Amino acid sequence: MAPPEAPLLEVEDLCVSYATAAGVLRALHGVSFRLAPGEALGLAGESGSGKSTVALALLGLLGPEAALSARRLRFGGRDLLSLSPEEKRRLRGGGMAIVFQDPFTALNPSLPVGRQVAEPMVFHRGLAESEALAAAIGLLHQVGIPRPEVVARSYPHQLSGGMQQRALIATALAAEPELLILDEPTTALDVTIEAQILDLLESLRRMRRLSILFISHNLGVIHRLCDSVCILYAGEVCETGPTKTVFRDPAHPYTRGLLASLPRLAVGDRPRLSPIPGTLPDLLEPPPGCLFHPRCPYGEPRCRRASPLFSSPGPGRAVRCWRAEEIGGVSWEEAVGGARPLAAGGGPAEKAAPPLVVVRDLRKRYRLGGFWDALGWEKPAGRKLPRPSWAPRFLHALDGVSLAIAPGEVLGLVGESGCGKTTLGRTILRLIDPDDGAIAVDGREIARASEREIRPVRRLAQIVFQNPDSSLNPRKTVGEIIGRPLERFGLATGAQARRRVGELLEMVRLTPSYASRYPHQLSGGEKQRVGIARALATSPRFLVCDEAVSALDVSVQAAVLNLLEDLRRELGLAFLFITHDLSVVAHLAHRVLVMYRGGICEEGTIAQVLRPPFHPYTEALLSAVPRIDGGRSRIRLREEGPAAEFAGRGCRFQQRCPRILGEICRTVTPPPLEPAAGHRILCHHRLETLAAVPSPVDEAAPGAPS
Amino acid sequence: MPAGPLETGARRRLPGNLVAGAAVVLAIALAALVGPWVAPFPYDEFHIRDRLQAPNALYWFGTDEYGRDVFSRVLVGSRLSLLLGVAATAVSLVGGVALGLAAGFFRGRIDEWLMRLMDLLMSFPPVILGLLILAVTPPSLWKTVLAVGIVYIPAIVRVTRSVTLELAQEEFILAARARGESAGYILFREILPNAWPPIIVEASLRVTFAILLGAALSFLGMGAQPPSSDWGLMISEARSYLDQAWWMAVFPGLVMCLTVVGINLLGDGLREWLDPRLRHGGA
Amino acid sequence: MVLYTLRRLVLIVLLLGVMSVLLFAITQVLPGNVARMILGQFATPDAIEAVETRLGLKDPLVIQYGRWFFGIVRGDFGQSLIMERPIGPVLAEALGRSAVLAALSFVLVASVGILLGVIAAVRKNRPIDHAVSVFSYLGISVPEFFWGIAFILVFARWLGWLPSAGYSPIGEGFGNWFARLIGPTLTLTFTLIAHVSRLTRSSMLETLRSRYVLAARAKGLPERVILFRHALRNALLPTITVLAIDVGWLFGGIVVVETVFAFPGLGRLVAFAIERRDLPLIQATLLVITAVYCLANLAADLLYAALNPRIRYARRTS
Repeated sequence: MAPPEAPLLEVEDLCVSYATAAGVLRALHGVSFRLAPGEALGLAGESGSGKSTVALALLGLLGPEAALSARRLRFGGRDLLSLSPEEKRRLRGGGMAIVFQDPFTALNPSLPVGRQVAEPMVFHRGLAESEALAAAIGLLHQVGIPRPEVVARSYPHQLSGGMQQRALIATALAAEPELLILDEPTTALDVTIEAQILDLLESLRRMRRLSILFISHNLGVIHRLCDSVCILYAGEVCETGPTKTVFRDPAHPYTRGLLASLPRLAVGDRPRLSPIPGTLPDLLEPPPGCLFHPRCPYGEPRCRRASPLFSSPGPGRAVRCWRAEEIGGVSWEEAVGGARPLAAGGGPAEKAAPPLVVVRDLRKRYRLGGFWDALGWEKPAGRKLPRPSWAPRFLHALDGVSLAIAPGEVLGLVGESGCGKTTLGRTILRLIDPDDGAIAVDGREIARASEREIRPVRRLAQIVFQNPDSSLNPRKTVGEIIGRPLERFGLATGAQARRRVGELLEMVRLTPSYASRYPHQLSGGEKQRVGIARALATSPRFLVCDEAVSALDVSVQAAVLNLLEDLRRELGLAFLFITHDLSVVAHLAHRVLVMYRGGICEEGTIAQVLRPPFHPYTEALLSAVPRIDGGRSRIRLREEGPAAEFAGRGCRFQQRCPRILGEICRTVTPPPLEPAAGHRILCHHRLETLAAVPSPVDEAAPGAPS
Repeated sequence: MPAGPLETGARRRLPGNLVAGAAVVLAIALAALVGPWVAPFPYDEFHIRDRLQAPNALYWFGTDEYGRDVFSRVLVGSRLSLLLGVAATAVSLVGGVALGLAAGFFRGRIDEWLMRLMDLLMSFPPVILGLLILAVTPPSLWKTVLAVGIVYIPAIVRVTRSVTLELAQEEFILAARARGESAGYILFREILPNAWPPIIVEASLRVTFAILLGAALSFLGMGAQPPSSDWGLMISEARSYLDQAWWMAVFPGLVMCLTVVGINLLGDGLREWLDPRLRHGGA
Repeated sequence: MVLYTLRRLVLIVLLLGVMSVLLFAITQVLPGNVARMILGQFATPDAIEAVETRLGLKDPLVIQYGRWFFGIVRGDFGQSLIMERPIGPVLAEALGRSAVLAALSFVLVASVGILLGVIAAVRKNRPIDHAVSVFSYLGISVPEFFWGIAFILVFARWLGWLPSAGYSPIGEGFGNWFARLIGPTLTLTFTLIAHVSRLTRSSMLETLRSRYVLAARAKGLPERVILFRHALRNALLPTITVLAIDVGWLFGGIVVVETVFAFPGLGRLVAFAIERRDLPLIQATLLVITAVYCLANLAADLLYAALNPRIRYARRTS
């Protein structure tokens, strides 16, 4: 690589610390990297790695409580450390611009989008307000926003998430900066929208010769967009190098651990994940020596004593590990204790057994807005004056959903945000009352049963939630939280209950001593384990896992996924596993439902769904997932319209379908195609057409770990 | 798996305003407790020959038109004011927390009607609502307490309702419903223990509002009645003698302000201390 | 927006209807026999009977309410029992005087309160912030009647700069009229300025911590643009809601302040009516106050909607 030009951005030995009530928090320590003009550099790391702090430090936007020092901090040949506040301001937005993670909170709710895009042109390029506005409309068009004149006059809340993010990108480009910093720009978006934004960034980069600093926890996204990558751990750089080389042949134990923790989107054998043990060090009192040594399976006494120096395992690469050269031949899986292949015959326990959960034609709709919002004007034909009308609009969260889950089976449920997957999970447990349809758990009909009649089912069917911070009552100890279901269902009392709580904690790989702790004393992964233990307390046979691993960092997520798989095997549990993450489903589930706007568009075994024929939506989803191993995305969807517009006629995917046939898709409900037993696709295309598409998913080589 | 940290962060220092406020409130509470026994004179004892005396060594805050010792009256008056503030707040707490929990948890119709009713109550200015309630029957201390308490119920309802709404969305409440817990259990064992901090803060501020409103009602002649030594009443009586005896109005007023400032400091301090955003430092 | 305004108007008319029923009901449970209050303690039962019949007090309550309600709609507020005069003109005169007082106070509260709040937020933890903070602490801790008395003591009695109390019609000289407004206005505004500035400060600080202000900083906008275009506009939204509630407080304050300064306005009329249990006067004054309060709320709602596009444009464009 080694570009001959002078680097655009030079960061050497950047340190940032915060003074907190509890002491000095070391957010960044000795961070160094360079960025050549036109290069895209990825900053990767899990939460707490300090990656966002780097962005704020570069922009000079750290708060007054932060202390910054660096040996060298140069941008375009200028020393950032010696700039006056006014010069820094000119540089922000002008020389370097940033796009933040959550587009909705980053846009001012009370200013029209066009004005927000125009602002940098007014203040950096000296354009008049009206010229800037016209230029802003052009820019909105360039970032792929349809009808830019209308959008420019709109307010942020009137745009969808993807459009908001495009508008923010337009804002960042407005003053024609040389460096674009992107801080998790697609994390808040659905995977199909994410793919579009990544396409946009790629083409902008080519067209404008932009340099990009791309901050993300998602290695797949970084792999797609960045030339080189810089892996951060606990505020330190542990490895840098060309993206492809680093991901193919990681040198630092932490990088190896991260990659081994990633569930892969592939058909075939599923290797057991090898998570990184332990948790992030306390940055108030960092351990001596290598920051990673407490969690490192390759560690030796030297690592505990002295902080390692960088060495170079190849051209353009640097790694901060004492043993980088010695451990080359030992894979991470071997180092942490060998990879076991997953689930030989990992299917449901008894094939012939009657299903445990049966759901038929489940419906639930919500009125949008209150009584008054349904009020509007209508102008009937033949009348001069409009008259007031009351026409409520409905969101069909569940529009006739049917499914069955066998004992010991993992049924994956995938779909984008707002497709109704969470509503489905909660309705099956009667946390939400359905409008219509039937739900039977273990042969007991509960769709319209009273709370008293449901009670025996509540013991059998439990739920694990997404958010570790909100799923445990902060005022109760772990013992009380896990013990309450025992008490409630009269399963155990006194010493017996305490013993059972201890057993449950061990079942989720925690020690019984955790019973006396409060949730705020636990890490995210530990909280999630306690949530699982609580759900297991009543010895259920069916668990709904609603995005149960989505809020966790990759290394922690892998450990929880392994735990769930073990529990399924030990206890014969059936799961409804709800997630937006296709890789997780591919890793864990036996069968998959693909859901779109309240209805199921494809279902089948994992091997059936990941191989052609695909429903066009499934195909788009699969090809949109950014991955670190091959697989380029091809199919793109159009931006989604308002959710309530689907009138119940035709195919529910018609508005965004890249393979739309014509009038038939708009008017006729698609028939189910059955390419194989148990595999159903709802589409007007002929099976042969759907089967003829190339698969975006790789076949895993049998037996080979990652 | 290594054990997680047992204590997250060091113990936080108490905010300065919390300490200062607590000191003032404790001092006033002490005066209220022992006032009648340590006061130099009985609060209602006439000293006809010492009428309207300026502050001096004998009468620290001077005397009023009947020669009663203003210092003793102010001291004893603290009892009335604190009692009124605390008891009235207790009334609003009992009513407000119950209604707020119900509105926030059951939502729908109940919420709609309760909140409309609260809007209605709030559309009367507090002083006028208090006057109206007191006008129904002859004034007495307990009626004042009740009236002031009712006036501030909507404020407590609002705070309680909004925390309840927020907490009802939490996943641990869903977990409780997934094991079929009763509404009572969820409200009192899962929600209420987490809802206290903001309610306590609001209540501590309401104590000062209650004291001020009670004093205003007495000032208008509808609260405490002579010869009681209520601060508001004392200031009201002093209006006729402003030219001759400023001390009759100024001392009860100053002590009342000190009390209210003290409670406000305490409340703000509590807020800072309990606010989770400030608690977890930056990061 | 038209629909929104109509909606609010309908709600307010409904609210006023409910209030009128409520007021009527409350005054019915007030103790004391109206006829006996008119005739005095030693009236004969026959005389009382005659008066009650004449005033229609023997009719069913619904009829009495109807008579009262439609009277008000026609502008007839009935007769004061104590003053023995029609209420309408008395009320109009008092309302006029208080309206000047209230309007003056409100303008002061809104402008000074918001200004102090913004200054304190922008200069957080600097001397000026602490000064505003001490000022607002005093403001919310000291009752109006005590400020009023302190004001009279200092400016009227000791310094002799201003008249101590009373009212002088504007016809008898602007100076006299204005001098007698200063005391009540300042007293009335002090508490509310404190309240509004505290609230503006905290909501401004919250807005300054928001993501979109960080984004505006990252765009390299000048500080004044960040403050006024990006932060203040959003920070004012909660302040507007509170200003509407403060109009209610203002009327509570007027009762006290007018009593302290012997200012013959609506507040004193209310206090007088309640003290003497003059039923028709209580009903009339309270209804007027409620109406003013409702209108203030309407104004606040409309202003809120005007500043907040999420209400103005509830639906997506796409």
